[in-house]
Amino acid sequence: MLSQMQRLSFNVEGRYASDEELRFIPEYLKTYELRLQTYQKLQEIEQLVIQQVMEKMLAQDPNILGSGTTDISAKCKRDTTIVWRYSVAALLMDDPDTLRERCLLWFQTIMRAFRHQKLCQATYTAMQDVVKQHLTPQQSSLFLPILDLNRRLLGND
Amino acid sequence: MKLILDHQTPAKIHNPKNHHHYSFKDFFQFDADKGTIVDWNDAQNILATEDFIIGLVEGLEEEVGEASAAIMYTIGCEWGQKDAFFFEKWFEKEFDRPVRQASLMFLLETWWWPFTAQGWGRWEVDMGDRRQGFMFINLFDSALARTLGDVGKPVCHLYAGLFSGFFTEMVKKQLGCIEIQCYSMGETYCKFLLGGQERIDAASFWLNEGATAKDIEKRLRSGELK
Repeated sequence: MLSQMQRLSFNVEGRYASDEELRFIPEYLKTYELRLQTYQKLQEIEQLVIQQVMEKMLAQDPNILGSGTTDISAKCKRDTTIVWRYSVAALLMDDPDTLRERCLLWFQTIMRAFRHQKLCQATYTAMQDVVKQHLTPQQSSLFLPILDLNRRLLGND
Repeated sequence: MKLILDHQTPAKIHNPKNHHHYSFKDFFQFDADKGTIVDWNDAQNILATEDFIIGLVEGLEEEVGEASAAIMYTIGCEWGQKDAFFFEKWFEKEFDRPVRQASLMFLLETWWWPFTAQGWGRWEVDMGDRRQGFMFINLFDSALARTLGDVGKPVCHLYAGLFSGFFTEMVKKQLGCIEIQCYSMGETYCKFLLGGQERIDAASFWLNEGATAKDIEKRLRSGELK
């Protein structure tokens, strides 16, 4: 939404916007209530989801978060929380572009530096399953594409 | 008059230790009154057009002929060396730890991010051959090559110098760098070899003989030197 607004203000400089160019605003307003409800729900379940995601990943691969001195559980939890909050904000504002530009592109290079792509792939795949259990199908339809964007950007080589 | 450069965007004031601050709005602060563009690390930036880059490269060629490549390389080396000191300072300030205590790949990615934000292109470091004493850097969207277009020869000498200067300073060992594949030769991205001078000289020799980047990689990996 914010990125679209910015693009609109840039594109229509010195002229009037067409109906087509303004269409995203009523479309956004139509989904605003649902976005807000989902936003509040996601805020409430943040740590529960992250905990369940980690449990699910560990059940599939007990070594995925390392062990002993190489245990990266705490780091993984912290990073996942950061990305989660950006993702939830992107859902509210309908602005995956900002999520991508301000957060994911940087995280992608850092995850690659630590060779954590497989871990990210597992995290955001598991997260889609877990989130589905907590949201209504309508709410999921707004949030799952964002989690899939995270999976694609952070989980690929 | 001395200009005080102090980056004070809302993003930095709100969270000065935020590491992912490379979006256009977060990273640059435009001050129309002072006429400055200050980045997150309090460095002054200037905007340069493609005409400026063409003028710089072609003007230098006009003045000194073939030596222009060496001059651009030397400029890059000095820039890289200075930037290594600058980087050490801002890294320590941002991450509360000296550069030598950080994971190497993390360090390198962190070093390159301001360059990405400034439009120098994205990179990919291939450290697979580090133990053999050399490594490769792939550069996507070189500001020089994409400006000059397909001119049939490598043009990113400034970058090669930058890598040489920076890495030499970071590892405290003299390292050279050569571009062995360039977007300006019709390739899809640029590729640099970084290593000891004897390897750089060998690669330069092979390149002059018509070897491709793949040939050079193969010859270096097989332990061949000339």
